[in-house]
Amino acid sequence: MSHSSGHPAKPPLKMGLAIPNSKLCMWLFLGTEIMFFTAFIGTYLVLRLGSPDWPSDVADTHINVRLGGLNTFVLIFSSYMVVVAHEAMTLKDFGKAKKSLWITFVCGIVFMGVKGVEYYGKISHDIVPGHIAETEDQALRKLVNEFRESRDEMGRALFVPGEDGEVPDLSKISVALRGELSGATDESRKADLQAFVKLEDRLQNSFLIVETDPEGHQILSSDQARIEAARVAFSKLEKAATAAKELHAAAIAKAADENREAPADPGIVDPVPPTIIGLSAAVRRELLPLFEASHESVDREAGHHLNLHITGLLDEMRSEENARIAAFFSVHDPHPIKYGNVFASTYFIMTGFHAIHVIVGLILFAIVLKQGPALDEKWTDFVENSGLYWHFVDLVWIFLFPLIYIIKF
Amino acid sequence: MADSHDDGHHSHPPYLIIFWVLCIFTGLSWAADELQEFIPNMGVLAVIVLAIASAKALCVMLYFMHLKFERNWKYVLLAPTFILACGLPLALLPDVGVHYYDIDVPQNSIADRVAEMPEDGDAESHAPGH
Repeated sequence: MSHSSGHPAKPPLKMGLAIPNSKLCMWLFLGTEIMFFTAFIGTYLVLRLGSPDWPSDVADTHINVRLGGLNTFVLIFSSYMVVVAHEAMTLKDFGKAKKSLWITFVCGIVFMGVKGVEYYGKISHDIVPGHIAETEDQALRKLVNEFRESRDEMGRALFVPGEDGEVPDLSKISVALRGELSGATDESRKADLQAFVKLEDRLQNSFLIVETDPEGHQILSSDQARIEAARVAFSKLEKAATAAKELHAAAIAKAADENREAPADPGIVDPVPPTIIGLSAAVRRELLPLFEASHESVDREAGHHLNLHITGLLDEMRSEENARIAAFFSVHDPHPIKYGNVFASTYFIMTGFHAIHVIVGLILFAIVLKQGPALDEKWTDFVENSGLYWHFVDLVWIFLFPLIYIIKF
Repeated sequence: MADSHDDGHHSHPPYLIIFWVLCIFTGLSWAADELQEFIPNMGVLAVIVLAIASAKALCVMLYFMHLKFERNWKYVLLAPTFILACGLPLALLPDVGVHYYDIDVPQNSIADRVAEMPEDGDAESHAPGH
């Protein structure tokens, strides 16, 4: 229409916002990213608020504030380097832009390295969703399973298949290895077999037994004779502990009468014997009140009792003498962590998705750096948009750092 | 395209100063963590470190992401996402985050459950949670 009017040509009609389309797209994408991460962070906050005794002890969570702080600094520095790179691009100083982007790239790699160290710490302690025992029962079950897996792994490793190459089931492996031990002459092989038999016997002679009930649930169980023996042992120790307490109290009273210094506490033996491990819930239900009656000051936090009694077993299995056994398994200290699984889930989902974003950012920067000497002003918008994305990644970490690493309640 | 640079950001925000401010804020967060035994309760610490985090986020958004120098489209684009982002946490909050009732989950300690059990000596020994 304007061509037929004869008026001077109007400037071309301009639609949309006064920013590049690519930048608008990046901002729209970042809008969705805000909702994406708020869903994770918001859900984490809600779950945390609704779960009293959320794990916050560093011994449970293996959260390292210094590593988190280091990563915060690394990301902030890399964010600064990105704006420097963008500024250099607008000034057509492409050499400086490349240098800044290289520094940003290296910062991203360092961030992932530190994150890898943190993840390794978590995984090596089995702080993994679905793996964490949250009650004593679960801790016992996990302990049993890990010992059994170790035994199975060791049996499979030691078994030498016949000519047909078939590996029989584990019960037959056990019989075969025990048979081989009786006639073994090679000292090294003999020591390996002895280690296997020792581990198997240790498992069979403990109360660490998992059975399957008629409904298919795994339950902790033990035979009645052993439970009875444990009761007797407990009773003896409990009486001994009470007698020791009384003797000590009498000695203090006598010392007071005679104006002497009170005798030192002789150190009362823990009245719950190691053999209580793996007792059924019904038996422990009977033993626990006795235990608490004689140990009023004992910390009743979940896991405390358990840890008292299994430390000896683990130490024994890990001793130098049993190095051959230890080489075959990784049994974790059974350490119940209340809400540990939901903690691990939220931790890994938030930091994991953040790490994925870091990797995507590294790819974006790698695309620019790959241009080498061909980098020119055509890449200015790309660098700006990658920078916006990278700043958003930094923003998310700015909130994750205090929420995951610092606030503990 | 060419007018992408006409919206004022060639006025060059003080990037290096912002960087040092962010470093100082990070140091303050770390110091708050180190000194938490002197802070009356964890709620106060949470407010302090989240306020610091918000200040850092503001610095990054305003200067590094240039929002201070962008035009009003930023409000049109970002306000709905902030509002919608609040939806899920708010929806979960009443039932999961701030429930008024006691929660009955296996994570409650065995000792607490033992205290409530009748002394009938039944042989049930199911491991909870599965």
